[in-house]
Amino acid sequence: MKKKVMPFVVLLTFAGSLHSQIINKEPLSPRITGYNIDVKLDTAAKTVSGTMKAFWVNTSSGTVPDIQLHMYMNAFRSRNSTLYKESGGSPGKKDLDLGWINISSFTDGNGTDLMPLIHYIHPDDANSADSTVLQVILPKPARPGDTVFINVDFETKLPSRIRRTGFSGEYFFVAQWFPKFGVYEPSGMRQRSQSGWNCHQFHVNSEFYANHSVYDVKITLPERYVVGSGGMLINESVADSNLKTLTLRAEDIVDFAWTAWPGYKVFTDKWEHVSITLLLPEARVKQVDRQFTAVKNALEYLTKNVGPFPWPHLTFVDPPTIGSGASGMEYTTLFTSMSADRMPEWMHMGEMVTVHEFGHAYFMGILASNEFEEPWMDEGINSFWEARIMDHYYGENSGLMDYRYLKIPDKAYSRLTYTKSDNRQVVSNNEYSWNYPHGTYGMMSYNKAATWLYSLMGVIGEKTTNEVFREYYRKWAFRHPSGKDFVNVVNEVVTKTYGDKFGADMNWFFDETLYGTGICDYRVSNLINKKLPSEKKMQENDSLSKGLPLNDSLYKAVVQMERLGEVMLPVDVLVHFKNGDEILENWDGKARYKDFTYLGHGKIEWVKIDPEYKNRMDVNFINNSRTEDPDRVLIRRFADKLIFLMQLYISAITL
Amino acid sequence: MKIFKSLSSGALRSLRSWKGVLIIWFFSLILISVFVIPMKGTMRTGFGSSMITERLRDGLDIEVISDLGPYLASLASYFFSGFFFVIFLGILLNTFFAGGLFQSIKGSKDIISVPCFFRASARYFWYFLGLYFMIIFMIIFFAFLIVGLPVGLTLQSGTPGPMTFIIGIIAVLVFSMAEVIFLLVADYARAWLVSSEKPAFFKALGFGFSETFGHFASSFPMMLILMVIQLLFGALVILVIRSWTPVTGGGVFLLFITTQILFYIKTLLKAWRFGSVTSLKETNKNIVPPNPPGGAL
Repeated sequence: MKKKVMPFVVLLTFAGSLHSQIINKEPLSPRITGYNIDVKLDTAAKTVSGTMKAFWVNTSSGTVPDIQLHMYMNAFRSRNSTLYKESGGSPGKKDLDLGWINISSFTDGNGTDLMPLIHYIHPDDANSADSTVLQVILPKPARPGDTVFINVDFETKLPSRIRRTGFSGEYFFVAQWFPKFGVYEPSGMRQRSQSGWNCHQFHVNSEFYANHSVYDVKITLPERYVVGSGGMLINESVADSNLKTLTLRAEDIVDFAWTAWPGYKVFTDKWEHVSITLLLPEARVKQVDRQFTAVKNALEYLTKNVGPFPWPHLTFVDPPTIGSGASGMEYTTLFTSMSADRMPEWMHMGEMVTVHEFGHAYFMGILASNEFEEPWMDEGINSFWEARIMDHYYGENSGLMDYRYLKIPDKAYSRLTYTKSDNRQVVSNNEYSWNYPHGTYGMMSYNKAATWLYSLMGVIGEKTTNEVFREYYRKWAFRHPSGKDFVNVVNEVVTKTYGDKFGADMNWFFDETLYGTGICDYRVSNLINKKLPSEKKMQENDSLSKGLPLNDSLYKAVVQMERLGEVMLPVDVLVHFKNGDEILENWDGKARYKDFTYLGHGKIEWVKIDPEYKNRMDVNFINNSRTEDPDRVLIRRFADKLIFLMQLYISAITL
Repeated sequence: MKIFKSLSSGALRSLRSWKGVLIIWFFSLILISVFVIPMKGTMRTGFGSSMITERLRDGLDIEVISDLGPYLASLASYFFSGFFFVIFLGILLNTFFAGGLFQSIKGSKDIISVPCFFRASARYFWYFLGLYFMIIFMIIFFAFLIVGLPVGLTLQSGTPGPMTFIIGIIAVLVFSMAEVIFLLVADYARAWLVSSEKPAFFKALGFGFSETFGHFASSFPMMLILMVIQLLFGALVILVIRSWTPVTGGGVFLLFITTQILFYIKTLLKAWRFGSVTSLKETNKNIVPPNPPGGAL
């Protein structure tokens, strides 16, 4: 009896702790899973070992016979793992190079040994050498509402080649390091027809998917190490022989990661209710202000236009060069930036990565989409917001680079990466992350998605776009939205704002951009300014006006436009006449060609399709406009200066 | 005194060589135009009748340039292959005309004729080319030795810091001084070649070195003055041209004329250098070294 009561009491205490509130007043998420982890970092063996108590709640209406957990670190166990088969690389030859996670004990809440019931599965590629997904057949299937408790003793060996996680000398970035529940999706959730676990293997081109959880984490490590984590420091105590134990807590985040390195310098700042901590190497101390400004810009912009940042703490890290493999990654309340020891003021690369990685706190941190299956929902949406933030705070034309004669807006980077890619049409934007062929994962999930989101904003306007995201946040914060759920929010907000101006819904837009493979290219093919013979004759035959100079209004002016791509988007067309008149037309963009004819305005001087470059899906801006009198001055000026500089150069190097 | 006499004589000689300078200007313009004009044509075709060029008014617009598509590939090939080819041809051409220029500024006070200029250019071409490559090789070797090695070693020993910067600055200063010496050697050697009845490559090089170091006290400061003037002129010209951005056709034409006049002046300054060194060489030749103690030679 005592044997049965004790584990129950322990679990009750543990569950109570994970459901209690320490950081926020109210739970932000349903807390379907929770973790209590107590580990020690062995800096010589490069291992993290200890115990984990965790739970999962069956919130579905069916009985669930098993649980599934990610064992990500096993991706670094051999070159036969799915990660290395996909990448073609190797985790290294020496034992110290490899990464793995071993379980020495696995029991359920009643103390039942589950070790005989665990085995690795390979849901994505049937690669039997991959051991990144663990299935545990429950002794008793979990009924609706049941909570499954597990106790795991594990040891994680960190890999030497840091790929988001690992070690380099004394530098440690510890991520994907503990057995972690997959997401059990009841039917209907994310348009699933049947309930089941969503627990994918570790892939080279993929990130993650998890429930919002509470983490109570104790880490014991040498005293001289400086630690940063996604948790809030609750307590720090001295342990034996130059060791210390940190007690950390994080609430309602989707992953818990931490880093330790003796070389970190720690800086703190505050934005409204958020205490911000920055860890970076000494050589980058000069960049502290730039980094804090960047993260505060992102906090301000996203809070205003999407929704509040709900946590009172945030830590970010600029890893040193030896740990650069951990750069540019997000764990909601912890993220890593990417910089260099010397970063000129005009280059905003460090700020860009900071803004991007912080943005993930929203796009998959709060709005926890499935990064395995719909990577555009985190990377694409987040790249769109990153570009908006960078261009807003660092200059509309200089978000990325602000050098005297070379300015690069952030939004241009996304557009060019997509529009100039040879593979831009080989796959749609709606693909599982590891299925993107021919190296298109980054271009499609980040850049194409960001580009069509800009085009969407071009169609529905900035105000409505912000309202879409505010509504998306209101509806889906701390839940798991799918792409269709996002589309439904767009449809709802756009219909509410514009009625049927764009049709019954906006599905047509997503069919062409998100689910389609076509390109968008509009061009002005010709401008015709033709004197009307009849008018001329009329004038000659008219005794009153005979002999008077023919005026401009006798012209029939025609703008000829064509749609060269498959994507059909409504575009503005600005027609400018020689007499100064301007007419702004709206073309639904559907027909293969379109002519606008004008009488009574005289000659057309120039015409521009999409004059404000709002349709960033358009693969060629050059053919969007046409003029009777092209400006050659710039080219001539450039040529003159080039001639002169080359003359000087040749003269200088010929002694 | 000798320095200023040589400088003023060099200035007069350079003015006397105006025809040669005109020829150099003309051929350099033709050569570079052969490269730039088709490139200009490609840009014109690429932009067509588009209004997009208005986005280039404030500087380079990466989106506009990238949207040139296949035209951008052509422009890139102009830069990456055509550019080096033109530079190479330019080196040959300038080296060729240097012979004529040295001929036109030596001793005689007559202005040499155009055929004579070309004859001299042809006569000394191979000697001058050999000298060019030899001196350039030495300059590159010294650049590696004086700048590359110390800076590289400092960088290798740790993260770049103020010490690397200081070492870099010192190394560049020392190298600049060395470059002045190499220019002196080259100029003395070339001046000797055009004045010698039997030109010989290694003799010329030997003369260049012996004259440079034999009359270092006058040669080096004179060359330093000339180099500083040339550098200041170059910097001023680049500053003016960089900030001058005419927006009308007339303005661009004026820019073209101005730049070409400035290049002509720049070439005259080079001729001044050649003239001054030649004058100094001629002065040095007339100085009879004093008898060593003891009387007999």
